[in-house]
Amino acid sequence: MLNFLKRIFSNGQPSSRSRANDRLRVVLTHDRVGASNHLMETLQTEIIALIARHMEIDGTPEVRLITEGRHSALDISIPLKGR
Amino acid sequence: MAKKNPDCQVYVVTSGKGGVGKTTAVANLSTGLAKQGYSVVVMDLDIGLKKLDLILGLENRVIYDIVQVVEGECTLRQALVKDKRFPDLFMLPAAQTRNKDDLTAEQVVEVCKELRPDFDFIIIDCPAGIEKGFQNAIAAADKAIVVTNPEVSAVRDADRIIGMLESAEFRDIKLLVNRIRPDMVRRGDMLSIEDLIEHLCIELLGVVPEDSGVVISTNRGEPIILDEKSSAAQAFNNVVQRMMGKEVPFMTLQEESFWGKLKRNFGFGR
Repeated sequence: MLNFLKRIFSNGQPSSRSRANDRLRVVLTHDRVGASNHLMETLQTEIIALIARHMEIDGTPEVRLITEGRHSALDISIPLKGR
Repeated sequence: MAKKNPDCQVYVVTSGKGGVGKTTAVANLSTGLAKQGYSVVVMDLDIGLKKLDLILGLENRVIYDIVQVVEGECTLRQALVKDKRFPDLFMLPAAQTRNKDDLTAEQVVEVCKELRPDFDFIIIDCPAGIEKGFQNAIAAADKAIVVTNPEVSAVRDADRIIGMLESAEFRDIKLLVNRIRPDMVRRGDMLSIEDLIEHLCIELLGVVPEDSGVVISTNRGEPIILDEKSSAAQAFNNVVQRMMGKEVPFMTLQEESFWGKLKRNFGFGR
């Protein structure tokens, strides 16, 4: 009953707490390495362009920042076309 | 002056963002430590925007300040203001009509060096921001307490401060979460302690619930830690115990009962 009422009043939106967590995750990762959204887009375009010059890319390549504790890494995932 | 320990622990209390409760924390932790019989000195380094004297209720006793000490206008002893309640608690006031550039990090280190032999704890109240005042405040400290609120902007600033403390080779950085409201966390409308630790990745020193009594105690110039019934006082007392090296379990935050709320709203109690 309580959950039902909650669902009606929150009209299916995620809680503000989970929104805050999501926003913090992105902002802190970027703050820590000094990377803006713009820089991430530039990196993604340039890395994909570089790989595409030598190999054939298949599907959706991804370049993103990931964090483990206070350490960050660039996670590059580029699917390649097989012969 | 009765010093209990041969060594002296120098803490800086910092946050990046202003208004999260740094000075309140400094006033309460220093008072709590003094109540436990330690000799404590608090140093207000918010030059130009001093508040610690007001929070401790010592504003009428201030004669000299730290800038006058380093400029040789008075001795360090003359500038130390003795607390009303505890004979082993002293405050070194900030200067109100000067600014952060009137002090160097070396001078702060020098003042601390002179205080170390006589005190168990030196607690430095750091100004908000990451500029000169922050650099001065962290220069002489061995340990850092980062104060934050469960709120995105405060957490972002805390993260930046933690990064800067790590670059300054601080090994002992702990988190003090202030003004949490368990009812809001439960409703999904506030970041929880677990959320904060996950984002900031540092050890928790304490959790202080939102407590309207803090405003009242600040009005009176009496740190809330002396009002043992209040939930904030219990939380600050636990932090004091941890600073003394004791292991104290983190209290489960009790939500205010219906009757408690009713009493509070109708002005009963306290």
